[in-house]
Amino acid sequence: MPGYTFHHMTLPGKTAIAGVGSTAFGKLPGRSAWSLQTEAVKRALDDAGLEKEDVDGLLTAPPLSEPLLLHAEQLGGKLGLRANYLSQKFIGGATAVALVAEAAMAVQAGLCEVAVCVYGENAKTGLPMLFGRVQMGRGQAASDDIAYGLAGGPIMEARAARRYMNEFGVTEEMLGSVAVAFREHASRNPGATYRDSLTIEQYLENRYVSEPLRVLDCTIGASDGAVAVIVTSAERARDLAKPPAYIAGVGVAANLQGLSDPDHYTSYPGARSSQTAYRMAGLEPTDVDVAQFYDCFTSTVLITIEDYGFCKRGDAGHFAADGNLRLGGSLPSNTSGGMLSEANLVGWNVLAEGIRQIRGESTSQVDGAEVGIVAGQGGFHAAHSTLLLTREAR
Amino acid sequence: MPHTLTELVAGAVPIVVEETRGYWEGTLAEELRIQRCNSCGHRQMPWGPCCARCLSQDLGFQLASGRGTVFSFTTVRQAIHPDFSAQVPYIVADIQLEEGPVITSNVTDVAPEDVSIGMSVQMWFDKELEDAFHVKLRLPKFKPSEA
Repeated sequence: MPGYTFHHMTLPGKTAIAGVGSTAFGKLPGRSAWSLQTEAVKRALDDAGLEKEDVDGLLTAPPLSEPLLLHAEQLGGKLGLRANYLSQKFIGGATAVALVAEAAMAVQAGLCEVAVCVYGENAKTGLPMLFGRVQMGRGQAASDDIAYGLAGGPIMEARAARRYMNEFGVTEEMLGSVAVAFREHASRNPGATYRDSLTIEQYLENRYVSEPLRVLDCTIGASDGAVAVIVTSAERARDLAKPPAYIAGVGVAANLQGLSDPDHYTSYPGARSSQTAYRMAGLEPTDVDVAQFYDCFTSTVLITIEDYGFCKRGDAGHFAADGNLRLGGSLPSNTSGGMLSEANLVGWNVLAEGIRQIRGESTSQVDGAEVGIVAGQGGFHAAHSTLLLTREAR
Repeated sequence: MPHTLTELVAGAVPIVVEETRGYWEGTLAEELRIQRCNSCGHRQMPWGPCCARCLSQDLGFQLASGRGTVFSFTTVRQAIHPDFSAQVPYIVADIQLEEGPVITSNVTDVAPEDVSIGMSVQMWFDKELEDAFHVKLRLPKFKPSEA
C-alpha cells in the first residue's frame, strides 16, 4: 500500500448525503431519460426538505444509451438551475461513488453548498446502451478485440472470473451463492425487477452466457430509471428533513495497465481505493456493518470482498457460500438486490441502498447499521471507487 | 469510406489507425509484431502511441515466435454481437506470448472442454479482411500446439 498520510485531512465527516431520490426501476415505456433524471432530482429535494433554489452544484453522469458530451449543461438547463459548480463524469460503473466524492470535495472546498449528483437512463425501453467504438474510440484495443467476438460485458469478465477461480479453487456454487443471497434481499424489495426465490440448484441449471458465467451471474442487462443524491455540509445536513449519512471516507483508484498487468484478473484497484477510504475515515473492515458491492458480476463481488479486506485473498468464495452476505450474516450485502436482481442503474441503485441502510430505511434493514461501504467499479477492472458512510459524524 | 455510422462504430473488423498500421501490415506478411520501445526496450501489446513505461514515441517492433500459452479463456455460449451468432460456441482467450506480452485472440481447432489455462498454443493467420476504409488485414489466431 502506498504510505498515504492525511496531515491536513479536512474531508471526513464534514459533508453528508442529505437527500436521495429514485424513480421506479425497470420497464418505463414512454419516459425519456431526461424525465427520469429530473424526477429523481425532484424526489431527492423533497426527501431532503430542500427547494430547487437551494441547489448550487450539479454533477451528472451521462446516460449510456446517449453519452452526451454536454449532458450536465443540458440537464441543468432543463432544471432551470443557476450553479456555482458544474461537472460531468464518466468512469464506467465507478462513476456514481466517484461523483459523490467529487461533490463532497466541492462542498468542502467552498465551491458550492448544496450539490446534486444525478444519473438516469431509459436503456430498457429506449435506445440500447452503447459500448465499443462509440465510447472506446477507433483503433483502441477494447474495440479491436470485437474482431475475436469479445463484445459485451460477460465475455470480458468471464476470462477474469476463470483465472480467479482457477487460481483459488473457487467453484460455480460459490459464485451462485452471491446471486442467491442478493435475490433473497430483492424478494423483500417491492421495487426489484427479479423477486422470485432462487435456489442454488436452480442457479446450477441456469444456462451459460460465457463460461463460467451464467445469466444469473450477470447484472440485469438494462433498466430504465434514475437516482439523484444531494451532498451538502454536515452542518447544513443536520437541519434538514432526514438523518444525514455522513461521508466518512472516499477513494478512487485505477489500474490502467490492462492485460500487461497479470494482477488485473484477480485483484481490482478497489484494494487501493478502499485503503484510502478506510484511512481517511479512521475505520477498519471490521467496523463495517453493511456493504453494497458493485455487482455487475458475481465474480466481481467476490474479488471486491477480498480487495476490501473482509477476508483473505482467495477466501471470498467460502465466505459467500457460508452465508455471510445474507441479512443476518456477518456482512449483509446488496440488501436491495443489487444490480443482479434489483436493477441495472450502473451502481446508482447500489449507492441509493447504501444511504437507506444508514438511515434505517431499507426493506432488508441491518439492525443498528452504523457504518456502510459502497463500491463502484468501471471499465472492466480499470477504475474503482469506495464510499464509507456513517450514521454519526466522525 | 464506411457507408453508415453503424458500420463504422459497430462493425466487427478492427479499424486500422495511425498507431496500429504497422501491426496490421505485419499480419499481411503473417508476422505478429510486438511493439518495442527503442528508448527503453519495453515491449507492449496492443500497440500504442507511446511507450507506456517511459513515454517515448520512438517505437519499433520485434517479431513474435507465435508460440504461447493460454492465460485465461471463456467459451462464449451466447453471442452478444450479431456477427458472432452463427459461431457459438467459440473460445475467446488471452494468450501469453513466449516473449511475455498477453494478447486477446481466439483458440480454434479444439473442443471447448479440452481447453485449459496453461495449455500450449501456436499462432495461425485467418483469412484476409478489409476494414471500414478498405485497408486489408488478417487476424492472428491460435490452436493447440502439436505435441
